[in-house]
Amino acid sequence: MSLLHMEEVSSGYGTMRVIHGLNFSIEPGERIGLVGLNGHGKTTLISTIVGMTGWQDGSIEFMGQQIGGRRSHGLGRNTPKIVRSGIAIAPQGDAIFPGLSVEENLDSGAYTDGAWKTRKRRRDAVLEVFPPLRSRLKQSAGTLSGGERRMVSVGRALMADAKLYLVDEPSLGLAPKISIGLVAALCEIDLGDGAMLIAEQNLPLLSGKCDRILGMHAGELKEDVGEALGDIPPAGEMS
Amino acid sequence: MIELLASALVLASMYGLVAVGISLTWSSVGMLNLAQGFVFTAGGYVAFLFAQYMAKNFSIRDGVILSLGVVFLGMLGSAVAGLVVGGLAFLPLHDRINFPVRGLIATLAISIIGTQVFMLIFGPQSKPLPQIFGIKRLKIGEFSIAYGQVGTIVVATLVLLLVTLWMKRSRRGLQMRAMMMNPLGANMVGVSVRTTGMIALAISGALAGLASVLLGQTFFVSPTSGVQPLIVGLIISLAGGLGSMPGTVAAAVLLGFAEAVTARYTEQSFVPFVQFALVIAILTFRPRGLGGVLEDVRE
Amino acid sequence: MSNASVGRRRLIPRWRVKSSSLSHRLRVPGTKRSLLRFEGRYNPKTLQRELILKDKKPLFWMVGLFALAAIPIAIGQQLVFSIFGSICFFAAINVLWTLIIGTAGLQSFASLATVGVGAYAATYLSITYGIPWPVMLVIGTAFGALMGFIISIPARRLDGLYYALLTIGISEFCRSYITQSEALGGQFNGALFGADRIVAEEAMQTQSGQTLSYLISFTVLLITLAIFRLVSGGRIGILLRTAQSSKEDESFASAIGIDFQRARLLVFMIASAALGFVGAFYATNQGGASLSLFSLDQMLLLLAMIVIGGLGKAEGAVVGTVIVVFLNQWFTSWGPWRIVLVGVLMLASVLYTRNGLFGLRQQLIEIRERRKALSRATRTTRYGAFLPEQGPEIADKGVIAEREFERAIRDELRSWITPEIIEEHRLSPMGQHSDHLERILNYFRKQPISNKYVVYCEESYKAYRVVALSGIPGVPPRSVDDKTYSNLDEAYHAVFLRRINDLKSQH
Repeated sequence: MSLLHMEEVSSGYGTMRVIHGLNFSIEPGERIGLVGLNGHGKTTLISTIVGMTGWQDGSIEFMGQQIGGRRSHGLGRNTPKIVRSGIAIAPQGDAIFPGLSVEENLDSGAYTDGAWKTRKRRRDAVLEVFPPLRSRLKQSAGTLSGGERRMVSVGRALMADAKLYLVDEPSLGLAPKISIGLVAALCEIDLGDGAMLIAEQNLPLLSGKCDRILGMHAGELKEDVGEALGDIPPAGEMS
Repeated sequence: MIELLASALVLASMYGLVAVGISLTWSSVGMLNLAQGFVFTAGGYVAFLFAQYMAKNFSIRDGVILSLGVVFLGMLGSAVAGLVVGGLAFLPLHDRINFPVRGLIATLAISIIGTQVFMLIFGPQSKPLPQIFGIKRLKIGEFSIAYGQVGTIVVATLVLLLVTLWMKRSRRGLQMRAMMMNPLGANMVGVSVRTTGMIALAISGALAGLASVLLGQTFFVSPTSGVQPLIVGLIISLAGGLGSMPGTVAAAVLLGFAEAVTARYTEQSFVPFVQFALVIAILTFRPRGLGGVLEDVRE
Repeated sequence: MSNASVGRRRLIPRWRVKSSSLSHRLRVPGTKRSLLRFEGRYNPKTLQRELILKDKKPLFWMVGLFALAAIPIAIGQQLVFSIFGSICFFAAINVLWTLIIGTAGLQSFASLATVGVGAYAATYLSITYGIPWPVMLVIGTAFGALMGFIISIPARRLDGLYYALLTIGISEFCRSYITQSEALGGQFNGALFGADRIVAEEAMQTQSGQTLSYLISFTVLLITLAIFRLVSGGRIGILLRTAQSSKEDESFASAIGIDFQRARLLVFMIASAALGFVGAFYATNQGGASLSLFSLDQMLLLLAMIVIGGLGKAEGAVVGTVIVVFLNQWFTSWGPWRIVLVGVLMLASVLYTRNGLFGLRQQLIEIRERRKALSRATRTTRYGAFLPEQGPEIADKGVIAEREFERAIRDELRSWITPEIIEEHRLSPMGQHSDHLERILNYFRKQPISNKYVVYCEESYKAYRVVALSGIPGVPPRSVDDKTYSNLDEAYHAVFLRRINDLKSQH
């Protein structure tokens, strides 16, 4: 059985329909790259899975449990429940808590009961992945640099004992060197029977490191774009 | 001198309890709870009903059990009232547009309704509460302080410390602080805004209930007895900076002292004037209040 | 799409006119403002000129105000006079308060206190120095302006809730000051009576006296409405509306040279002066002032009126006042229940409407528009032929249909592409082909010139290359790769493969 199975999923904000009848599934143990240009629905796809879009429609099954359905109000109302069932999300930009210390930020990511009890061990594991955070544990997260904030944001997602990790644009706004390190760190994490979905604009960052790379174009998925991406028609075709 | 100190601290602890509740609600839920006066009164009435029941059925008029029961039920009653306010004003409105203003008006409406309902049920007369700390006085040298005052200060300080500690240490506290900083981000780490908001409302209700029971020692419970604490509590939470616990407590102590000193050396009638002058002075120099940092963060 | 939503036309009253009389307008005497806003247009069916009344509000205002003036006079009972008197009095305050909250955007809760200051000042001076009522009105206005000036000082520094609470505090302070003050009737619980009256006390017992008193109250309401109209609809109101609703708008407004702080304080001062006037009028009409002018409950009741009617609109303030005052004073036998009812009304209006009774229409329109746009969005971008955000914005539905059609064709053609077809083309790029291959080739042929792959002959019968046309006259084609082909058929096939590849990757 696949970990996440989406069928005919559409979603959007207000009058805007961003995702158009998506069908796709994520198998356990997979690491999937999701590439596509700005504004083509990568972030919305991730938001749809956790129920943070304005409205959505279609079936989303996570570990055999229905978390989708038709919904047109209450943005984010079901998100906590969905997230608690085993999905960790590192959102685009910094959704960190600026007034809390780095340690507390990370701890807040351990939101399942099991994860909360083992949060010290988990924090150490995250610090293994992001060593620069170790010296800043007691520092307020609002004072960190952009790269460190992103590490906190991603690290917070890794704190949960989730089955599915959704990482949105880890490289956005970061210096190339830092973003390469961040993505490499993400790709080395042992997932076990979990899975990870990394949305990214920058294909070379992901190529060769993921099990599958999907293309996102105008709200639709293109299966395994692989290397053919260079042949995407010139922009004139889109307008 | 000690009497002055005692009365100042009693006022400070009372105001602190209400103001911390208001501040907590504002920072976690994003709603200025003007029904805190109603919540305050509700606790007082529940405690009164309990005391009346005990006196009628078991002839218990004082003692430890009654005191504990009065305090506990007062807090419980107010917590439930806080939940009622949440259910009527917070849950239906929190993800609608213009929530801060609409929430404020909704709580105001609840407070209007609540006052009238109490008036209908209990009538306009004041109801006395039992003296939970006894009526003896504690002698220190040549001064003497009523047990009630000492008890009030100790209990209020303890409870405020407990709440602060809870916010700092516990998981719920962490979640609540996370929600204060970034409600959307908190959503993504499994913090339900609705559940956590209701918890915040219940806690601030319980604090108001405690204040109500403690204040009921000297001033009796009446349908409008919540108005004065509400206004002073609002002023203090503003002066302390909405959302900042230390700032709020500092403001409460400051205003408590101002009130005690004014009432002692001049007339009682000058108290509101001095308080407002103080608050205006604070807000002129620090428009976000004494400890106010949160406002910028929330935007 | 349901057919019911197509072609539904709103009922618009229209007048057929001759073209020559189109520019003829009824104007307010002495101004260029037209009395009623008509708009001329051609009837789409008959192609005749007609006039449409664009703004029906003035008509409703006329009818409503006339009813307000006429009903109590027609009934002629003392109770009705007193109810309608309070309606006029509170409505006047609410209209000015709306000016402060809505137009100036200052969350001041000291409006009632300003009225009280005007009333007490006028009454006190009248009692002490025997001032007649016209001077009282002037004094009230002056004190209102003074009070407005004092309250407006902290408004520059504090925003939103902080200011709101401060003003609540100020009115509480005024109340406690009066209860303590000997001169202002503190010993009589704040009641200060004996001021000069417009309508003498004896005359108030007769019906004509009551009618006169009521008409004066009504005139005061009319004056405040006129002030509202002049300020809110005038230049300063427009300036403030530019700066309203958000911080960004404020910085935008200051960036284009609007000093909104000054403008809003000016509006605040005007409204405060008018509130003082209303207070002084209250004093001359009642013969004094009472503490209820400063009471928190009364202020909450006023707030309830504004909230029920709709914040920021004069008609909301008036109608809300009518509802609440009527409930409060007609059903006096209900006791506390009527206040409960007012509270419930207030709660309901804040829970279910975005802006009270008069925001309801706009809210319904918005809901309908949103539903319509939502269904259009789901229809038009069903096939993802656009960037998602473009869908609803394309006005020409033909474009959408065309793109969906193109896309359906591409989907169909893509499903035909098999190794056999490619092999067939490789064997003979020219000549008769199977049906599917022929259709694919036809599709390629009719593609636009820009970026079209063509064969470029470097040397006849020896070297051919694949290039892409620019599609712009004068701009040479660009080469797509370095490969050269020795004969034309190979080059044709290479072009074919490239086009197939593009078709595959294109959605």
